[in-house]
Amino acid sequence: MRNAFLVAWRDFAESAKTKGFWIGLLLFPAIIFAFVQAPKYLEKKGTPQRFFVLIDQSGTFEEIIEEGLERAHQRRVLKSLVDYGRKNASLEKAGQAGGDKIDLEDIPAPDVSGGAEQFLEEFAESNPDALEKFLERGGREMMLERMKPYLRDDAEEYEEPKRRYVRVAVPEGVDPAAGTAVISEALKPFLRGTRKIGVEGEDGKLYAAVLIPKDIEGLVSRPGQQPITLMTGRHGVEYWSANLADLDLHNDIRNVMNREIRRKAYLAAGMDIEAVRAVERTRVPFATLNPKKAKGKEKVSMADFLRQWAPSGFVYLLWISIFTISQMLLSNTIEEKSNRIIEVLLSSVTPGELMMGKLAGIAAIGLVMIGVWVGSLVAILAWQAGPEVEFAQHIFDVLKNSHLLPAFFAYFVLGYLLYSGVILTIGSLCNTLKDAQNYMGVVTVIMMVPMLTMFFIPKDPNGALATTLSWIPIYTPFAMMNRMAADPPLFEVIGTTVLLVVTTAAVLWLSGKIFRIGILRTGQPPKILELFRWTMDAVRGRN
Amino acid sequence: MRDVSLTVPTGSIYGFLGPNGAGKTTIIRMILEIIRPTRGEVSVLGESSALKARNRIGYLPEEKGLYKKMKAWSVIAYFATLKGMGRKEAKERAFELLEKYGLKDFANAKTDALSKGMGQKVQMLASIAHDPEFVILDEPFSGLDPVNQEVMEDIIRDMAARKRTVIFSTHVMQHAERICDRILLMAQGRKVFDGTIAEAKRTLPRRVRIETNDPVGQLEELDDVVGVEALDGSGRPDDDEGVGRWELRIAEKADPQSILQECFERGIRLRSFELADPSLHEVFVHLVGSEAKEASFR
Repeated sequence: MRNAFLVAWRDFAESAKTKGFWIGLLLFPAIIFAFVQAPKYLEKKGTPQRFFVLIDQSGTFEEIIEEGLERAHQRRVLKSLVDYGRKNASLEKAGQAGGDKIDLEDIPAPDVSGGAEQFLEEFAESNPDALEKFLERGGREMMLERMKPYLRDDAEEYEEPKRRYVRVAVPEGVDPAAGTAVISEALKPFLRGTRKIGVEGEDGKLYAAVLIPKDIEGLVSRPGQQPITLMTGRHGVEYWSANLADLDLHNDIRNVMNREIRRKAYLAAGMDIEAVRAVERTRVPFATLNPKKAKGKEKVSMADFLRQWAPSGFVYLLWISIFTISQMLLSNTIEEKSNRIIEVLLSSVTPGELMMGKLAGIAAIGLVMIGVWVGSLVAILAWQAGPEVEFAQHIFDVLKNSHLLPAFFAYFVLGYLLYSGVILTIGSLCNTLKDAQNYMGVVTVIMMVPMLTMFFIPKDPNGALATTLSWIPIYTPFAMMNRMAADPPLFEVIGTTVLLVVTTAAVLWLSGKIFRIGILRTGQPPKILELFRWTMDAVRGRN
Repeated sequence: MRDVSLTVPTGSIYGFLGPNGAGKTTIIRMILEIIRPTRGEVSVLGESSALKARNRIGYLPEEKGLYKKMKAWSVIAYFATLKGMGRKEAKERAFELLEKYGLKDFANAKTDALSKGMGQKVQMLASIAHDPEFVILDEPFSGLDPVNQEVMEDIIRDMAARKRTVIFSTHVMQHAERICDRILLMAQGRKVFDGTIAEAKRTLPRRVRIETNDPVGQLEELDDVVGVEALDGSGRPDDDEGVGRWELRIAEKADPQSILQECFERGIRLRSFELADPSLHEVFVHLVGSEAKEASFR
């Protein structure tokens, strides 16, 4: 036992000294930190101001588009003002404790079954009156004035977010009255970035150009008619940009124009615009409810949504950690084998002690690693949690109020032991890392399955795929971890765990036997048949 | 390996000799119970298995290797703790040994920064750091320069001087001849000889070398002389011209003095008379055959 401990300690200490270990250890918290900080940073200065040219030859949309973009900007101002208020509110002045706390259960969850489209719609239109009121009553100045009494004394100055899209004048040499084909040809060098445009005396890059032809109203598609653009081969409104990833400007302008076209159509049909607008804002209340939650609190919240998806994150973490330290165990074993240190070791310790020591030493490394990972995750979330980074707050709450963490550690240990049994066998059979890679390829392919199913299982957490994978011991840790949020039947939790423990014990026992023979072997790794013979010998108790 | 029985007396330096592939390493691994013999038994330091006595044994394997990223002292200390030494004690001992054998400056160097010879010395020290009663060294001299070979011999003699038992294997006869009390000669998995060096030399007929201008043919007739060979050229014992150097193989029981007397009586005027011991190399070649002779020069 003492020897096993000494081996474990050396393996732990030496692995802890490697650069790879420290990089792995620190990279994860760095990524989490960046991930949490990124939205905040991007909000402040990340997104650059983008310049666009608008040429409206019809002359009817120019004003409306500018107005629409201004409204989009004001919406962001409103949001930033609300955030600013939450962040800088003084509890005493507000006269109520916990005033800046968000109750996670009150935030509506996106409708999971409805998909992303509806989710975005819900958010954009969640309170269509808010923006109107804000603008009617004086906008930013009014808000700041009304917030003032409740702000902390040391509150920082409010900073209005920059406009994301700024309209600039048509560059010189481009004739706005020419045909769209001529204009777009003239603008191409600017859009490609080979020519610069002048913005307030400085050089800037033209991000997009929007060209509205003179006869745009004649090109509008209407139900029951063949689309005119199809018949004539013309484009309608032309949105030119080298950037195809960020379509916000494209969408904003399109929405504003559609709205205007429809307004005109309502007018033409003799309808009352105000009435139509009012009708457009009517909504049927639609609540998503979870039968598993306590009575009166069945409403599905943001927390529930995160709770359902958080296990997938842990599956990923589980996979990475098991994979990483399996590799460590492998290279560690191969080092001793290829250096023939193994002989000296075996003159001092039994193969059993050596194997136990290795398992424990590398397990300790793994536990330290995921301990730091999970610890830093929780710490960063706790530190950053708050109105500013709502996301962190949500995840933090989910972690606090669930058994995800204990399950994670339990499945890590069991999963590690199972896979390490296989890895130690491979390590003991191969003399070089190159030999081992052949076997590892198979292991990697087998280990890919939980990665591939990771995002399907939460959608049907107690379905056939999830249940089947749960009963295959090599996948039990991943599959069960993935299902954690859906409260799998107790029978399955216990059953699969027992099966996993039994399998792990069997694999370790068998790999102990093969380890004993393989560890002193030199030359080529054994043939499959030979390996099978050893296995059978071990089962029959011959060695 | 077949039918090898062997007893190593306590406190002796025992050499395992044999050509490559003779089974030296295999027998060492069997003694240590790293591999088990299909038949037969091993008793070490009074225990039925080396595993039970492993803290009293030190082992330097044939293929040398160290943890590349560990410091020299900590490798020595690690192996010493595996043999039951306390952590602190092991560290002190490691530094003490490194200083004693001239590696003080490299104590804190990582082992992959050491030269091959230095690494080998470090490994040697690692195998004896816990002051074992019984040390097994597999090819301790291979790959070392003459100076370090001597250091290695010193380490072995130091151990023997403190009544430790040392087994080492080699295919270089000179080392064995210089420091061994007893040797085991092996070839193709079989024991060829086992005994003291003197006994080994006795397996070859003793020889007397003489130098004379007279013909020596008449010595061939003596009972004590088994054969006469010319040491230089192809001269025959009956020739009577020039100075000749001859080697007389003499019977086991024969007294070299009587040969000297016979020469005197037969009027052979000797310029020199020398009682020549066979070298271990000759014994080896004699016992193992020409195949081994090739191997021993590899």
